[in-house]
Amino acid sequence: MKKTAVLICPGRGTYNAPELGYLARHHAGELGEFDAYRTAQGQETLSALDGAAKFSARIHTRGDHASPLIYAASLLDTQSLPDEIEIVAVTGNSMGWYTALAVGGAVSPMAGFQIVNTMGTLMQEQLIGGQILYPFVDDNWRPLAGKRDQLLELVSDISSRKDHLLALSIELGGMLVVAGNEAGLKAFEAAVPAYDRYPMRLPNHAAFHTDLQAPVAALGREILGLDLFGTPDIPLIDGRGVIWWPGATEAATLRDYTLNAQVVETYNLTKAIQVAAHEFAPDMFIVAGPGATLGGAIAQSLISIDWDGISDKTVFQSRQADDPVLIAMGRDDQRL
Amino acid sequence: MDRAAIVHQNFLDRVQNGTLPIGQMAQTDLPAAKLVEMFRSQCLSRQLDRTSRNMQKAGQGYYTIGSSGHEGMAAVAEALRPTDMAFLHYRDAAFQIQRAAQVPGQNIAWDMLLSFGASSDDPISGGRHKVLGSKALNIPPQTSTIASHLPKAVGVAYSLGLARRHAPEHRCLPEDAIVMASFGDASSNHSTAQGAFNTACWTSFQSVPLPMLFVCEDNGIGISTPTPDGWIAANFLARPGMRYFACNGLDICETHHVAQQAADYVRKHQKPAFLHVTTVRLYGHAGSDVEASYRDAKATMADEANDPLLHSVRLLTELGALTAKQAIDIYTETGDRCERIAAQVVTRPQLKTAAAVMAALIPPKRACAPTIGPSTAKRTATFGSDMRAMKTPQPMARLINWTLTDLMLEHGEIVLMGEDVGRKGGVYGVTQKLKNRFGADRVIDTLLDEQSILGLAIGMGHNGFIPMPEIQFLAYLHNAEDQIRGEAATLSFFSDGQFTNPMVLRIAGLGYQKGFGGHFHNDNSLAVLRDIPGVIMACPSNGADAACMLRECVRLAREELRVVVFIEPIALYPMRDLHEAGDGGWMNTYPSPDKRIALGQVGMSGDGTDLAIVTYANGYYLSVQAAKALKAKGVKVRVIDMRWIAPVPRDELFKKTEGCGAVLIVDECRETGSQSEGLMAMFMENGTKNLARVTALDCFIATGPAYGVTLPTAEGIADAALALLEGGT
Repeated sequence: MKKTAVLICPGRGTYNAPELGYLARHHAGELGEFDAYRTAQGQETLSALDGAAKFSARIHTRGDHASPLIYAASLLDTQSLPDEIEIVAVTGNSMGWYTALAVGGAVSPMAGFQIVNTMGTLMQEQLIGGQILYPFVDDNWRPLAGKRDQLLELVSDISSRKDHLLALSIELGGMLVVAGNEAGLKAFEAAVPAYDRYPMRLPNHAAFHTDLQAPVAALGREILGLDLFGTPDIPLIDGRGVIWWPGATEAATLRDYTLNAQVVETYNLTKAIQVAAHEFAPDMFIVAGPGATLGGAIAQSLISIDWDGISDKTVFQSRQADDPVLIAMGRDDQRL
Repeated sequence: MDRAAIVHQNFLDRVQNGTLPIGQMAQTDLPAAKLVEMFRSQCLSRQLDRTSRNMQKAGQGYYTIGSSGHEGMAAVAEALRPTDMAFLHYRDAAFQIQRAAQVPGQNIAWDMLLSFGASSDDPISGGRHKVLGSKALNIPPQTSTIASHLPKAVGVAYSLGLARRHAPEHRCLPEDAIVMASFGDASSNHSTAQGAFNTACWTSFQSVPLPMLFVCEDNGIGISTPTPDGWIAANFLARPGMRYFACNGLDICETHHVAQQAADYVRKHQKPAFLHVTTVRLYGHAGSDVEASYRDAKATMADEANDPLLHSVRLLTELGALTAKQAIDIYTETGDRCERIAAQVVTRPQLKTAAAVMAALIPPKRACAPTIGPSTAKRTATFGSDMRAMKTPQPMARLINWTLTDLMLEHGEIVLMGEDVGRKGGVYGVTQKLKNRFGADRVIDTLLDEQSILGLAIGMGHNGFIPMPEIQFLAYLHNAEDQIRGEAATLSFFSDGQFTNPMVLRIAGLGYQKGFGGHFHNDNSLAVLRDIPGVIMACPSNGADAACMLRECVRLAREELRVVVFIEPIALYPMRDLHEAGDGGWMNTYPSPDKRIALGQVGMSGDGTDLAIVTYANGYYLSVQAAKALKAKGVKVRVIDMRWIAPVPRDELFKKTEGCGAVLIVDECRETGSQSEGLMAMFMENGTKNLARVTALDCFIATGPAYGVTLPTAEGIADAALALLEGGT
């Protein structure tokens, strides 16, 4: 009997030094069309970027490079899934939404590539603002009482100050990604206690999923036509937790969300994961590669609804050892 | 064979074979995607019905009254907005599912399965009861099978117009909302439902805005009793002030089209409409119901042949929106999904303790904007010559009137409603001048129908108002008491405290009224109210207490969202004297507006320890008279005024009677079923030794000279006290 799975496509920040060569290792010879498109755009090919002698944060984390690299890795990963896995729904984190569109069949692989490459390039060109990651859970991934509300109040307080722009960018499991202009980000960094790597500024990231991206969204709508969009074959779950059902989706509405609200409003990955669990009750969640950094956020999203008895990190890890509920294709030991 | 299995197999076979039922050609402006979305809602509704039966067979589910046959209601939902408050028939899963598609981030399959499994995670009732309902979707929970939700739906519809003129602080619904309430063909006959239709028509007939869409789901049978052919149409085709629309509920294209016309009519004209949706009933009434025992097999099979899902497949394939295979895939995948979700849902927690079940009887408090009360100038202008009268002692009726004036000045969201409360000023003049002071829209003269008065109040409470309905006489409450017992009091319980209908219901009643009185005006039984969980009952004995308690009642409604009943003893309204004519012993000056008597705080006269008399209202008045006679005989007595009938102020009563040699309960209500029974039990359980009671006899109140012969008297109380003290020494 087939195992059911919800597929999750990762966002920016998942192609780092360990992922250099990921495409070559797992998808050699499958980049032809993507490379050709990049060449036609006058951009460095994915093969060249992935095959670089060494990882360069300056180069590889740029939006116009990281986005297509991640898209290609994720999409090709999903195409290699074994037949005994039945994907019952697809979602993604942030730019992973573009990948989800392709995985779910709402856009063709090349149309998806065009969308992700265009949006990644526009964001890099504009590079408006930045993002910071900050957790609100304890070491066992249980919410710290009142911490999330406290952080949201802080964001609200900072954003009310003159010349300070700051907003909630992504609900990322047990973490919040806040985004804003330099003044807003600095004020946030100054206000929260520093520990471990936090507050963590995300390099080469812009103030995604906030009003600041309105110009990028507008440019995206100018460039990316309705002809690129279709309707999904597999249910898609977006950054609000809305399910786009096969047959019940209009391409124009999907494009409008993708190039408007999705870009300028908070992306709620936590909600998307929770809707995926509740409405599809899959046997497992599969995170496409590259990287494995999204696993924690997914687990934390599931912990917050006590999914299938997974009440904290310890239980999650024990479950992973016996009967994994979360598979990260970016990890060689879990790759299907 | 199980009819659910037959209907299931029929669907698969007939879609596969293309043997679909005949019907009108598809006519719609809706895009194909929207039609498929509605079909998906229909399939989910159907598969939830099937899953609920499987859960019950496995001992994991507790509810099997399904929506099969009524899935066309998805199209009605699509014609409305999620901000249109919907009071749903219990067969309306498809409506709720389709509405969930209009609000981002819903887990509708999960949520509904949680309710089948009575899980405490169920987001609407918290595992207390299977109801359709959702805070996010503006669907207050319903359990009614008798359309008792219709009066309050009319009340919410009325509140929309009023909120445009007087927006309450806690307004819930936008200006352009309408209200929808659905019900079955059988329950449309219920007097409660008929009262609601009549009220809607009566209101609309006078061109008062009432944006109310009634939706009758006519499946032709009420459990086992058929509805006469043509009855619904004949009954509702030509009601004054209410437009009739009809559609075939098996056809989602037609249903959507007509429902949209009806909704547009209601929204545009602010008038009620009656949407008659013909449906079929599949699977019988409920899981436990063997339809074959009372219904002709041909009728059952005719309904099954007209399965609305088959009609939808016919329409969608005709339009090219779906292929037969896609339809089967959607149906089957939805079934698989429900099974997977159900397997998870049954592992979710359920309520286990009494405390957990009872936690939602009383809703959470809400924060209200602080008020400093009206300015002196505003009060002076409003009260006029009454300001001077405030300096002298006055009887209770007047003090209540002034209290209402001050409360309405301070809280713009207070609205009075009842028969004759406006122009006439109430049957005993308690609400005189209020209409002039606050306008006809805050002091509403209603039609003569207590169910509608209470429904209006409940509905107003749903939209942020603080209604203060008046029932003219206690005896008139009884024809409408389900609106309190079955609706208002249960709302917080069934919604886990998320929906509330705060109110202060004023009722004039109790005996001792000289002259024109008798049972219908002076009923002396509060039994119908005192056992309702969560309901607060206040009953003052004098004007000063009445003012201070009424302020507390409004605070309890406004801040704590409670349903409060304020019983006003008619005989004490005009009472001036206590012991002899002209002594003015029962009048008070108006307590300053900041004075309140807190819930549960009892009153006491005297501090004697030989005897404590525990009583309320007229009983307190008579007991104070009796105490004088007892004191003359050397008995040291205290008289305790309960003030609060429910919840019984146990601790306060025990504290106040502590150290007393005997306790006499004086209850002007009947011997059977009244508060004295509860008080006797309470004191006995607490170890009180010398205990007795004086009550009214088990009789109705007479008119004329015999008005008081069945009631306790001051002499009788004194005699009973002496007898108790003698017996106890």
